[in-house]
Amino acid sequence: MSLSYDEWAASLREGTLLGVTCADCGTTYGTPFSVCNECGGRDLDATDLPEDGEVYSVTTVNVPPVGFEGPYQVALVQVGPARVTARIADDDEVDIGDGVVLDGAMEADDGHPAPVFRRA
Amino acid sequence: MTRASVVGAGMTTFGVHESTLAELFATAALDAYDDAGVGPDDVDAFYFGNAMGGQTENDTHLAPKLASEVGIAGVPAQRFEDACATSATAFKNAVQAVEAGIHDTVLVGGVERCTPETGLGTGEMTRIFASASHRQYEQPTGLTFPGVFALLTKRHMHEYGTTEEQLAHVAVKNHANGQRNPRAHFGRELTVEDVLESPVVADPFHLMDCCPFSDGASALVVTSDERADSYDDPVDVTGVGHATDIVPLSAKPVPHATQAARDAAAGAYEQADVTADAMDFAEVHDCFTGAEVMASEAIGFFEDGEGGPAAAEGRSALDGDRPINPSGGLKAKGHPIGATGAAQIVELTEQLRGDAGDRQVEGAERAVAHNLGGDAGTTVVSVVEVRS
Repeated sequence: MSLSYDEWAASLREGTLLGVTCADCGTTYGTPFSVCNECGGRDLDATDLPEDGEVYSVTTVNVPPVGFEGPYQVALVQVGPARVTARIADDDEVDIGDGVVLDGAMEADDGHPAPVFRRA
Repeated sequence: MTRASVVGAGMTTFGVHESTLAELFATAALDAYDDAGVGPDDVDAFYFGNAMGGQTENDTHLAPKLASEVGIAGVPAQRFEDACATSATAFKNAVQAVEAGIHDTVLVGGVERCTPETGLGTGEMTRIFASASHRQYEQPTGLTFPGVFALLTKRHMHEYGTTEEQLAHVAVKNHANGQRNPRAHFGRELTVEDVLESPVVADPFHLMDCCPFSDGASALVVTSDERADSYDDPVDVTGVGHATDIVPLSAKPVPHATQAARDAAAGAYEQADVTADAMDFAEVHDCFTGAEVMASEAIGFFEDGEGGPAAAEGRSALDGDRPINPSGGLKAKGHPIGATGAAQIVELTEQLRGDAGDRQVEGAERAVAHNLGGDAGTTVVSVVEVRS
């Protein structure tokens, strides 16, 4: 049974970042999918992603959408075999290649959580 | 092989418009009718693009409403939505329908209003644009569209040494071209320093690295290869490639490669039986300066990593060896989301007819348009040629 969004979000709120690994081809994603985009497999098992990661790319958003107050950093973080889109903790500033560690989750005003990383 | 032909092209100025969506679209559509020399009785179907009217203006089911506005109530009409690639997708479907013999002559185009004329401020419009990013895995981080392209561009800079100065050259070049386009939102002398000294929106992008919020409309009359001969100045569509890439950004194996663009370009060139080298110029989706650099590599104008230096060396300027965005591009011409893709085909049509005035690419016979949507999730690439 594939990982649902609600399970991914609940786990993140409890401090664990889950991805999924395709039982057929071994591809790991940082977010759930119902079907593997590599091989078409439907058996995508929940996988604990490591807490330690590395910044793959990052930007500082100075002009935020309504519901957010800038500036803040959004990054693509490499966590083991997968990447996730995440916020960097306030008061931290990171660049590509920096080591980061999972620091829980933030919640936007619509209730959807996002992973937060801080400098390792 | 010709798949369909463009026999009429029209667009409004891009900028700020007070008129309704319907009236704005009609301005472009009537231009296209007149250019083709057709009336409503000649149009068999309507392929229409609008990305955000439901969110921005509480206006949906727009295809029949706009068909009625331009006198073709009764024909099959449908709306396409693929974020910023909206009207290129409409164009692709129109070309396919004509090629397949389903319709003889199709009106295709798009309209959007993105300026404060909608009643929405920057923060609200930024949120609506961000609705094209992944709802669960991107939007909750507060990622914006400048942010999406900043993440791609920052990695491109890391991999290849692309610099902020090289990015700024893209803006300088497109503003210079925009000065020569009477329908452009912007166009003025701009220096690299002007770009680098403007406020940072999402690093590495300064305000002058970003396209504006614009209102506008574009329209085309597309007909079959056989019928095109009875019109003045037809131009032939010989390839339309359309590809998607995995969303969210975090799942893309090599985000800065913009794989959908590479796949769409390969498809378009293969259909047209040409290579990138045969293109006399390109209109590409330069919503941000970094997007033009990545697009210029994805469509094969420059080797990977060479897009930045090529811009700085003037190779993509109007008088360079690989001109890109003679119209001024999204950066200077403007970016009314749902009108952008068809407007690129308007520019190709005028250039290939030799009607582009001060911004004419000398002797242009074959050109390519690249229209990207969402977080590099959709790209449509079209090859258009002078009728032989």
